[in-house]
Amino acid sequence: MSVGGLAVGLEVAPADRGKRLSPWVYALVAVAALVVLSVVRLLSGATDLTSAGTVQAALTAAVPLAMAGLAGLWAERAGVVNIGLEGMMVLGTFGAGYAGYQWGPWAGVVFGLLLGVVGGLLHAVATVTFGVDHIISGVAINLLAPGAALFLSKLYFSDAPGGGQKQSPRISDAPKVTIPGLSSLLADIEAKRWFFVSDLAGVLRGLTTEVSLLTLLAVLVIVGTAWVLWRTPFGLRLRSCGESPAAAESLGVNVYKYKYLALVASGAFAGLGGAFLAVSSGQYRDGQTGGRGFIGLAAMIFGNWRPGGLATGAGLFGYTDAMALRGSSAVHALLLLLGIALVVVAVIQYRSGHQLLSGVAAALGVLFGYWYFSTDEVPPELVGAAPYVVTLLVLGLAAQRLRPPRHAGEPYRRGQGV
Amino acid sequence: MRGKTTGLVASLLAAGLVLAACGSDTATTGSGGTSSPGSTGGSTSPAIKVGLAYDIGGRGDQSFNDSAARGLDKLKADLGVEAKELEAAAGETEAQKEDRLRQLAEGGYNPIIAVGFSYAESVGKVAKDFSDVKFAIVDDFTEGTDTGANIANLTFAENEGSYLVGVAAALKSQTGKIGFVGGVNTPLIQKFEVGFTAGVKATKAEATVDVKYLTQPPDFTGFNDPAKGETAANGMFDAGVDVVYAAAGGSGNGVFKAAKAKGKLGIGVDSDQYTLPSLTDVKDVILTSMIKQVDVAVVDFVTSIKDNKFVAGQKVYDLKAGGIDYATSGGKIDDIKAKVDEAKTKIVSGEIKVPEKK
Repeated sequence: MSVGGLAVGLEVAPADRGKRLSPWVYALVAVAALVVLSVVRLLSGATDLTSAGTVQAALTAAVPLAMAGLAGLWAERAGVVNIGLEGMMVLGTFGAGYAGYQWGPWAGVVFGLLLGVVGGLLHAVATVTFGVDHIISGVAINLLAPGAALFLSKLYFSDAPGGGQKQSPRISDAPKVTIPGLSSLLADIEAKRWFFVSDLAGVLRGLTTEVSLLTLLAVLVIVGTAWVLWRTPFGLRLRSCGESPAAAESLGVNVYKYKYLALVASGAFAGLGGAFLAVSSGQYRDGQTGGRGFIGLAAMIFGNWRPGGLATGAGLFGYTDAMALRGSSAVHALLLLLGIALVVVAVIQYRSGHQLLSGVAAALGVLFGYWYFSTDEVPPELVGAAPYVVTLLVLGLAAQRLRPPRHAGEPYRRGQGV
Repeated sequence: MRGKTTGLVASLLAAGLVLAACGSDTATTGSGGTSSPGSTGGSTSPAIKVGLAYDIGGRGDQSFNDSAARGLDKLKADLGVEAKELEAAAGETEAQKEDRLRQLAEGGYNPIIAVGFSYAESVGKVAKDFSDVKFAIVDDFTEGTDTGANIANLTFAENEGSYLVGVAAALKSQTGKIGFVGGVNTPLIQKFEVGFTAGVKATKAEATVDVKYLTQPPDFTGFNDPAKGETAANGMFDAGVDVVYAAAGGSGNGVFKAAKAKGKLGIGVDSDQYTLPSLTDVKDVILTSMIKQVDVAVVDFVTSIKDNKFVAGQKVYDLKAGGIDYATSGGKIDDIKAKVDEAKTKIVSGEIKVPEKK
């Protein structure tokens, strides 16, 4: 799931037709993707495509997005659309700044989470208790939260040493772990630039070197969510509130309670995402989230409202983002990669009988290939757009089988079932 | 029943919005009271009321805006001016900037100082409507947009200061690979890049400069996203770069963090970043800083108003005028200071012409 972003984009393509694919299929797809990456690296000479540094940067960028996506997942699975994620993340960054500089990174994480819960509760009161339109309430939170955070930061950070009206003093970073021995061994292999082997070493080294404990926590939380929502009675009831609240009610499920719990979890994860962002960048800053809440929501949709999928989506965003920030030669190589990926999509779509889509994908793929071979670099104005272009293409061409929870976003009143 | 509660919630949320708006625009009114009356020796003229609109980051950004704030604080202490400071919010619209300036002008503040090039259009518009109020805009001079009989354009020769830190970077680099991280790809930041590259090349012709801008306009978050700065700098360090110049506002913190983790060097911008309290734990990697004395420009401007010597149009603060300099705090460039000073003298005398554009 965290092996280079594009790689994983392909996983979505051979979408399961009602039956679950075995883990081996996913492993095979990941290996195939890495082979493609390796070929592109050899062709283009852009070693940064699979370097440990890129993987590390992608992981760091992906974690806040994945947390935002997870927050969206909890809310929507219980039938509440939560576009207030961005606002809840802002609350999380402030909480992390406030507690983080005084009592260390872990206190920051806890405080960020708690402030996120406050945002989630606000959304719950508005949408569940009072039946306010979910979008209106979400927008209100997105407007209210930055204002509140700014007000509080002026109050608490202006006079703190090293702080300002719009930024907190420094927060020390969470501890990072490295698997001793393995890392240097992998570095040696990576430096050899062998086909596939070095790429694998690079990716593995990125995943095992200087990994923040926060990243590990995020992985645990994603796995935990998958278990709770899909393997426990509690999760089944919660999801039933999103699929068919009236049916759930008729079976004795307290829908209001589950929606409240889901929104508390949603706020907590959004706050956690904000806290991760603040702690890993070393301070709270006004406007720091920069739309990550919305991108997280996109990652969730990309992932078909499933934890594994949203982690893949966040990984894809993180990877292209890291690529765009680290070097333009790698972004140029991304063109070729995208071209190959689109051709693969075209083949898959053709085999499943979607001639039109297949044609569009093939044409675009050839176009990207031509673009790659006829130029030496991507104009800087387009580099920043790379993550969005890649995601739009993957969403548009490879993932038509998305299915949101059936009653997400609809107001629900007890006893007035549909 | 349900309609009623919905209405209630709606009005609560509306109140929330109003609060939010207040939060982002809270004014801090300068006291001025401590030194103004009595001490001015019988002058009966009322205190000058200065309106100051900050760019994103505002007072306390430890960088560009703080430099303007220092100038204002000095004015409060020395001239006893009254001041009103308003802050910008991230991602705000043109109309919000215009409103902010109008609010100051209607509140009787004169002169009004807009800090940052993002005010270019709004200053041009508002200045037309308030022809008896004097405006100053820091960092921009665009003929036809923000020029007029009552507008002073205070610009800086950032390219000259960047040239000097470029010289220092080239002399200190072991690998001959040097990096430049720009916040947002705007003409202003390109001026830093051009000067810096010129300084590097003039000192070591075979050295290379890796250039990366964090975001492209109209996305201005690149000035305020340390995580992006860290990622970009890490990419450069991994590629063998060992000195990175961060012309990226608040994102520069991320560059220093990366430099610290990898044992490399960074160069600061706008203020003497080595001495900033928020950067104490990374200050040992800050080689030097390109200093842009916005405070000098602010004090000069308000003093000129007080003395009735307002001059409209562009005023360039360069090395010669003392508006630009480089920092020596930390003593990391003591051994090469003579060479940097030599370049400085040559720029001041006109022997070296630093380019402004690519």
